[in-house]
Amino acid sequence: MNTCRNTFTAVTRRGMLQTTAAGFGWLAFAALNAEKVLATPEDFASPLAPKQPHFTGKAKRVIFLFMQGGPSHLDTFDWKPELKANHGKTMSNSDGDKRKGGTLLAPQFQFEPKGKSGLQISSLFPEVSRYADDLCLLNGMHTSNAAHPQATIALHTGSANFVRPSMGAWTTYGLGSENQDLPGFITINPVGLGGAQNYGSSFLPASYQGTRVDLEAGGIADIRNRHLTFGRQRSQIDLIQEMNRDLLDKHPGNPELDGVIQSFELAYRMQTSVPTVLDLKTEKSGTLERYGINQEATQEFGTQCLMARRLAESGVRFIQVSKKGWDQHNNLKSALTENCLAVDQPIAALLQDLKERDMLKDTLVLWGGEFGRSPQDQANSGDGRRHNNSGYTMWMAGGGVKGGMRYGATDETGGTSVLGKIGTHDLHATILHLLGFDHTKLTYRYAGRDFRLTDVYGEVAKEILA
Amino acid sequence: MNLRTSDRVIYLLICSFALLNGISVATATELSPDQLAFFEGKVRPLLIKHCYECHSTESKKLKGGLLLDSKEGWMAGGDSGEAIEAGNPNESRLIESVRYKNSHLQMPPKYQLSEAEISVLERWVQMGAPDPRTGTKVTKAPGIDWEKGKKHWAFQPVARPTIPVVKNTNWTQGDLDHFVLSKIEAAGLRPAPDADRFALIRRVTLDLTGLPPTVSEVGAFVHDSASDDEALAKVVDVLLQSPSFGERWGRHWLDVARYADSVGKTRNIPFPYAWRYRNYVIDALNSDKPYNEFLAEQVAGDLLNATDKQDREEKLIATGLLALGSMDLNERDSEQFQLDRIDDQMDTLGRATMGLTLGCARCHDHKFDPIAQSDYYAMAGVFASTATLSGQQNRQGGSKQYHQPSLLAKLDIPPSTKPSDSKKSNTPTSNNEAQIAKLKNRLKQLQAEAKSKNNRARLKAEVTQIRQQLAKLGETEIRPAQAKNKKNAPEEAIDMDAALAMAAAEGRVTNLALRVRGEPDIKGDVVPRAFPTIFSRMQLPPLPSRESGRRELAEWLTSRDHPLTARVMVNRVWAHLLGRGLVETVDNFGASGAAPTHPELLDHLATQFMDEGWSVKSLIRSIVLSRTYRLSGQQLPANAAVDEANSLYWRANLRRLEAEAIRDSLLTAGGMLQTDRPAGAPFDSSDAGDLGKGNRKGKAEDPIVRPVRSVYLPVFRSKLPGMFTVFDFAEPDQVNGQRDVTTVPPQALFLLNNPFVVDVAKRAAARILEQNLPDEKTRIRFAYAYSLCRYPTEAETERALIFLNETKDKQSNWAALTQALYSSAEFRYLP
Repeated sequence: MNTCRNTFTAVTRRGMLQTTAAGFGWLAFAALNAEKVLATPEDFASPLAPKQPHFTGKAKRVIFLFMQGGPSHLDTFDWKPELKANHGKTMSNSDGDKRKGGTLLAPQFQFEPKGKSGLQISSLFPEVSRYADDLCLLNGMHTSNAAHPQATIALHTGSANFVRPSMGAWTTYGLGSENQDLPGFITINPVGLGGAQNYGSSFLPASYQGTRVDLEAGGIADIRNRHLTFGRQRSQIDLIQEMNRDLLDKHPGNPELDGVIQSFELAYRMQTSVPTVLDLKTEKSGTLERYGINQEATQEFGTQCLMARRLAESGVRFIQVSKKGWDQHNNLKSALTENCLAVDQPIAALLQDLKERDMLKDTLVLWGGEFGRSPQDQANSGDGRRHNNSGYTMWMAGGGVKGGMRYGATDETGGTSVLGKIGTHDLHATILHLLGFDHTKLTYRYAGRDFRLTDVYGEVAKEILA
Repeated sequence: MNLRTSDRVIYLLICSFALLNGISVATATELSPDQLAFFEGKVRPLLIKHCYECHSTESKKLKGGLLLDSKEGWMAGGDSGEAIEAGNPNESRLIESVRYKNSHLQMPPKYQLSEAEISVLERWVQMGAPDPRTGTKVTKAPGIDWEKGKKHWAFQPVARPTIPVVKNTNWTQGDLDHFVLSKIEAAGLRPAPDADRFALIRRVTLDLTGLPPTVSEVGAFVHDSASDDEALAKVVDVLLQSPSFGERWGRHWLDVARYADSVGKTRNIPFPYAWRYRNYVIDALNSDKPYNEFLAEQVAGDLLNATDKQDREEKLIATGLLALGSMDLNERDSEQFQLDRIDDQMDTLGRATMGLTLGCARCHDHKFDPIAQSDYYAMAGVFASTATLSGQQNRQGGSKQYHQPSLLAKLDIPPSTKPSDSKKSNTPTSNNEAQIAKLKNRLKQLQAEAKSKNNRARLKAEVTQIRQQLAKLGETEIRPAQAKNKKNAPEEAIDMDAALAMAAAEGRVTNLALRVRGEPDIKGDVVPRAFPTIFSRMQLPPLPSRESGRRELAEWLTSRDHPLTARVMVNRVWAHLLGRGLVETVDNFGASGAAPTHPELLDHLATQFMDEGWSVKSLIRSIVLSRTYRLSGQQLPANAAVDEANSLYWRANLRRLEAEAIRDSLLTAGGMLQTDRPAGAPFDSSDAGDLGKGNRKGKAEDPIVRPVRSVYLPVFRSKLPGMFTVFDFAEPDQVNGQRDVTTVPPQALFLLNNPFVVDVAKRAAARILEQNLPDEKTRIRFAYAYSLCRYPTEAETERALIFLNETKDKQSNWAALTQALYSSAEFRYLP
């Protein structure tokens, strides 16, 4: 992959499309190491064809459980006895930073050691904590911005200020997809904040952009044909394809026309494959129950998690599910209880299924929000916390990370990460490493320079690698 | 690059001037035994343990250009300057960084040293940093190579080339054909045959207007007994006079102007008056405003002489270019916000007009081009001295609102009474008018009812329905007087009809301090306003002390001597018409861009462009009347063997239409397109407030169903209509002179399944069936002519007949057939 720069002599995407004779421009890139293309016709390599990373990564796919709003690490996965001990103590505005001032608010939920590893997890996650020995808590997270939109976009793309490809797009660009009947990157119920940027491909080829699934709107845009029977539509597509092939005959080897023909076939297959993979009716009632799909509190997120498992099983490379509403400036106790209730059981069911299928070993599960919350009380209400970007927690499971591990730490009261610090770029570098990439070499040339997910930063958290 | 991610950014990027100076290293003085003991016992182990990983000659990757494994290393300093001031810990960056007090400067990056360790380093520096480690060679990255930079082709003056001699003089039409043919002949090849008239009329009509020719226009052209040259010239002159011309070519400019109707990014607040700039651009193209004036007005229209009120207003609106940037309104640091704004202006102006990536020099000297970081801040001073009237401010504190009418330019003439607007406003039939009035009344009623809490959902549904109906009638001026949504209330107090415009105005004249690594807080020397050094061989107008310098900037930019302005524009036009620029990287003429395949042709076109008064229409006319433009796309194996990429232009490139042209062609096919310009903004005040907030489920209407030309649909950043995204609309965040062409399954899904396409197909089928035609074969013939501007082959007719006979439902069969025609690649590719 580090030869990308030399492989591409054309400097624009369009240029590549036009000048590469063998099909899509990025085929040159795919061809460097391409495995056998699994499900596409002979003489065409899809941009989503599986590709080899730089080295053999432990993770083959990612499931990102995004908790938008800034979930409180101090009440969930970052046990701070000192915070409890110093409850009510007033902090000074050291360095004139008013964010550091205020009254400390003790953790509002009970922590207990869980699993053989004895990871401290709060009572809000009774189900997830059964998998404590699979979790790697990243207690030293930090990010550059304490505002939701910037931090959310930065978490997804590495940049708060510019439109850049999201990590799912980079992943799919690097690895292709294992299923040629489905998109390689799917995001279910994406949050509004940051919008399409969170799953966009920006300057990367559009094949790598996330395909959004909106549960309420019935899935993927225009996936259903409502005016023709299946047979009639097939015959219509045959007619279209004959016209397309006629045109291709006049322009032999034209990569765009080749792409048009392929896109119609994949689209046709997606009309069946997408609804099938998203159809949960074939699941046993016991499974639906485990995911909490039959209960109001867990129904929505349970559905997302079960779909995520099914997409993972089907070979989709990067799957994101989202849960909004973690911004507890107030109602910390009740809202946090409600949120955790909504996600705890579904996540545990997902982890269980992945383990049972022996998929956890090569599926990286990532949980967390765009930042965390302050040890200080929001307004001395005893029931709210402020934003906090200088220290928070995410966790990983599977995909080549150590289980039962607490990596990194915040300071005594949990406000600032001081050990094993992982910033946004470090997180991305680590994820790419787990997938088999040297993050400094997964590059794409655009507007005259090579871009990376990690810009010019990023350190892999080597200590967490299994 | 994320400039605010600072705690990791230590010493990373290159600030040049410290490096350019020769590094002199003082000879090692003798150390006292005490000093030596202290260094070896305490300091060296500490440096090895905590610093060498990134700051030694053995480092896998040296960080920040700073070496700490030799005295010469730290004396030379790092990329951001001196690391240690011997004897003065408080002035030493090394000490500052280990103290961890400055959140921008913390070392080691992952953890803080212990108090004891920090005090060891402090004491060492206090002692004068005695260091026995000498002898390491310190090498530094070189700065800009000015000599090499000056030689880059794009900085050479535009020269009038001699017209090359060709063998086949029968083939050439105009001068430009000589440049193309001479290269083809030199390669021992011959051009492909001309396109037939069917292909040509479709190509030229879509190229110039973005709309397909009608069946009768095709017929008239195909049966014109005049010569090909004359017949084509007639058609081209008509097309250039069509208002549709500006709607298509204006949109090309809007791509490079990063035009949008909302600010994008974190708080995606709409621009209620951006459309005035959009209309200005369209009108400028239609009136063939000379390109040099067009540019000058966009840079400094507010400072230029105006003939009358309307002219002044137009010139003011033109400066909207500078205000349309995508900004992060949630940025609380005002200085950062201002510098980001200036960067948007620098980047846009640099790439749009000069093909220069000036923005690359914000944090360090340009890596490829002869643009020093000081050049960046010199020119940035012009924009720092300019007030950008975008109507929005960043939020600092939370109480103020983003939308600020006071931050907009006031117009003298209420725009709704402007003659140019009334001329172009909707002319609905009286029937429609009555219906619109009725719907509007009902809408008002509903909005009043909505204030009480009952039945909100039902009311909302009906409101949406009415809006859709109104939209279908071409009525886009729906402006509820009152905001409905409490949460967005402060933002919704937008007067959509106000006589306001986005614009630039003079600010306080100032010179900017260079920002080390682009960080607003780390100031370098103040750089007097100036144009980039590399242009110093031109006559550069001096910058006044009492004005921002935009007037001079415009003068410089549009000077005949500017080596880039005309070249960049003619290249853009060429790329739109021939499918690839003579310089393939249309927005980048720098060293990292592509070199021109036909440098003499580029200069020929640039010279001719300037000679003919910077007339864009004349330029387009000369290109489309050339023989080169007229070629067919026919593959010639002998040519393909030598030049498969067609870099010699020996045949026509197959070009996919843009999202707008595809959509407008569909609307035309369905007989739905209203060609008049809708008045006012392309959205109503219910779209005020943060577009990124919430799901806005009430706004379910897909704007693509509106029967107006695509250029008049709203361009909300990050919220483009699905169809636009799927068909590679230009990302409106930055300059985008050449759109991507992707072929992804969602395009196929859209064409096969989207209700809009299905509706178009039904209507088109009905129109075909309405014709008084004798039989299915003739209808098929008509359908092909109507949809693809050509007649079907025998085989195609047979295929279609079989398809039409597969089921009994004639209407549905015909709808499915026309949909197939619109879904075919041929429909969305130019022949």
